[in-house]
Amino acid sequence: MACLSPSRLCARVQDKLMCQFGHKVRRQTVFVKLKPPGPTPLRIFGRTCQRVTTCGPACGSAGMGPAAAGAVRRLASSLQSTSTGSLPDYGTQIVDPYRLLEDDLNGIYEDIRSELERNTNQAELNTIATYYFDGQGKALRPMVAILMARAVNYHVYGENSALLPSQRQVAMISEMIHSASLIHDDVIDQSDFRRGKPSVNVLWNHKKVAMAGDFILAVASMMIARLRSDEVTLVLSQVVTDLVQGEFMQLGSKETENERFAHYLTKTYRKTTSLIANSVKAVALLSGADEATSELAFQYGRNLGLSFQLVDDLLDFVSSAQAMGKPTAADLRLGLATAPVLFACEKYPELNPMIMRRFQEAGDVEKAFELVHKSRGLEQTRFLARKHGLEAARLAADLTDSPYQKALVVTTDLVLNRIKCVRVRVRVRVRVRVCVRVRNNVPTHNERANTSNVYRQ
Amino acid sequence: MSFSCLRNVTRCGMVKVSSSGALVSKLGGPCVAREVQTSAPHAAVAQHNTKPDWNRAVSEAEKIVGYPTSFLSLRWVLSDEIANVALHLRKLVGSNHPLLKTAKNLIYNGKNNMQAWGLIVLLVSKAAGHSPEIPDMEQDKAAGVLHSQRALAEVTEMIRTSHLVHKGLVNMNAPQVGPGDPDDMMFGNKIALLGGDYLLANSCSELANLRNQELVELMSSAVRDLAEAEFLGERDEQNNPLPSRPLPKDHMEAPLEWECVLQPLPMGGVAGSARREWAARHVLAAGALLGKSCSATLKLAGHAPALQTQGYLFGCHLALAWQAFLDLEAFSGPEPRSFSLVGAPLAFTLQARPELYELIEQGRRSVHDVDYHKLYEAVMAGDGIEQTKQLQREHIRAASHVLDSFPNCDARTALANIIVAMHP
Repeated sequence: MACLSPSRLCARVQDKLMCQFGHKVRRQTVFVKLKPPGPTPLRIFGRTCQRVTTCGPACGSAGMGPAAAGAVRRLASSLQSTSTGSLPDYGTQIVDPYRLLEDDLNGIYEDIRSELERNTNQAELNTIATYYFDGQGKALRPMVAILMARAVNYHVYGENSALLPSQRQVAMISEMIHSASLIHDDVIDQSDFRRGKPSVNVLWNHKKVAMAGDFILAVASMMIARLRSDEVTLVLSQVVTDLVQGEFMQLGSKETENERFAHYLTKTYRKTTSLIANSVKAVALLSGADEATSELAFQYGRNLGLSFQLVDDLLDFVSSAQAMGKPTAADLRLGLATAPVLFACEKYPELNPMIMRRFQEAGDVEKAFELVHKSRGLEQTRFLARKHGLEAARLAADLTDSPYQKALVVTTDLVLNRIKCVRVRVRVRVRVRVCVRVRNNVPTHNERANTSNVYRQ
Repeated sequence: MSFSCLRNVTRCGMVKVSSSGALVSKLGGPCVAREVQTSAPHAAVAQHNTKPDWNRAVSEAEKIVGYPTSFLSLRWVLSDEIANVALHLRKLVGSNHPLLKTAKNLIYNGKNNMQAWGLIVLLVSKAAGHSPEIPDMEQDKAAGVLHSQRALAEVTEMIRTSHLVHKGLVNMNAPQVGPGDPDDMMFGNKIALLGGDYLLANSCSELANLRNQELVELMSSAVRDLAEAEFLGERDEQNNPLPSRPLPKDHMEAPLEWECVLQPLPMGGVAGSARREWAARHVLAAGALLGKSCSATLKLAGHAPALQTQGYLFGCHLALAWQAFLDLEAFSGPEPRSFSLVGAPLAFTLQARPELYELIEQGRRSVHDVDYHKLYEAVMAGDGIEQTKQLQREHIRAASHVLDSFPNCDARTALANIIVAMHP
């Protein structure tokens, strides 16, 4: 069903489909830009498409979402969450966070771009700095921040609460800090592609790219300062410190085998999780929530972030194997031992020397990749990710019941089941055969209503 | 716009930086060293031999504000991250990565360059005093500055050092990266980028701890200005700056006024105008940070906005006077092998003889391809040096003028001595 989700993309297709009544199956060939067909997230997590049949259109191509461009991908990934089966049942309503926040998220990249543009009179600096704010990202961080903001506002002030402008600013700031770190990562790792286009370090002078990263951070700091809240500034400045310390931790692997996992988790917290956790804490502080609530927000963000990164590390092993037909394992190639490897080396101690030499000898990457797959490393990583996801969902359940609070729960599933944004994404045109079963009672031809109806059923 | 205009501006309490009266910056040694790498030793030597006053002025000033300027270097020794960087730096020894030179300059020239900025911030803090309402707990009584002001001085040094370190990256994206093993260069870049980020991140949290959001905004805007500086005008493949082609007077855009505190510096009428381009370049690269730091320290002390503005102007003018002083050094001793192509003496010479721009164009790939000898002779033959001295005098006068508004005290004398030490 995820195939149907990009309603805008397939509007024409659906239009026709909606005219078909009865159990007719119609086939259409749709061209979409796709990452190479990865494994379906459903399969990764050993689930089946339990709800697919109740969702109307069946998923012809085994849940392969046309997760290409931003908005499309957002919808697609969120729709998959409906089929995981681990959600509490809200009757017919499944809350899609991206749809719920459509108005809030709308234009967020434009706002970031104009904020950056206002802050420089150098054309090239503006070009580099705004390069990754083209709306092609998943905008996960702003989404979670706004969701938490609305959920906490609802929790504190009840139904008539609104999103504060300052909270939306924090959402923008979180994405800016994230991008600034991506830009510096690109120079460090010399990556070629990101978000489906050449990465900044391929296109521009590296010195200028580094400065553009500093520039984004500076503009973000100015925005933080303009919120005029000491607490929020402290919380968000912690993020920047954590990011850098995380990078430093990634440089060396001097720790012993016992310390290694703790080291990995701390590094993960600093590099990925701190940003999510502290930005949701910041929006909670801005709403005027009490300490317990902002701590709850922080813990939600921490668990969600850990779960997010664990899935990321997992997919680095899984998606590449199926997609490319050969192991790519980007993390291994960068010399990084992530959770699957660390789990695997309990069973295969021969991984230890490879970890210590950062997989630099010929054949190391392939060998490690193979051992990870032979071990239970992937399963254990998945288990840990799910554990943190469930913890986040449990925390979110403590907030006052509201659509936003429900969406926070849904988000934990969305993160667990997302499709990997492959670091080096190869652009392929894949012919997707969309098989859609349209049920008798699909009520309307109205295109706009299509998607929402479809996934509510 | 003239110098008097600047004064009018300051009277009405707004910071405008006039076009010609402009701000200059003189970046310290490491910076110039990086732009024209071979000139580094000459500059350092020249400074040492011809300006003994400078060192004395600085070391006496340090006594006035208590202990040697800051604990920053001590903190470095104690920090895991920096220890990590130092460890990795060792691997780079023997490679050609400019990070080594940056690191060396930071250590050996520390007194003259990096720390001097923090020192000036502290001297301004002490010279201006602080509001009587500030509780004793927050003061460093012996030194006569606030703890927060000392923290700010460190932030200034960290921001500046971080910028210097990031400027010292190698562009691996150029057709010719230059001598050195690409792996070494890449590794050096990684360390330089992370090291600079570490300093930047630390300055973020130090600033946040001061719990003054206007201050955070002001200092963040200085970081933004430094980043902007690296994009101004023409560049060679390693991002070394080249002057823009000089424009005849009647082709120049009307200069915009620079009301540049939180807004980015307007670029109208900058390119191709010797004075204004030089001023814009160095305001962004140095004046903004020193000026904003001086302004911020007065804010911390609870002074009125008008005095904060004065502080900003003082820092800007001092930085520009300092830059002019550096630019002149290349032409005061024996002929150097190379010198900054964006220095004021050359800018004035190019303005007077636009045909010389052909020589500059040879440096489009690398500034090392330029015929420095011909340019040197042209500068020596023209009145570029004299005009630069005039420019420097203007900025010194402007800085001294601000100084006069502070009460007479040892810190003010120390600042005056530093200014005198750079007199042409």
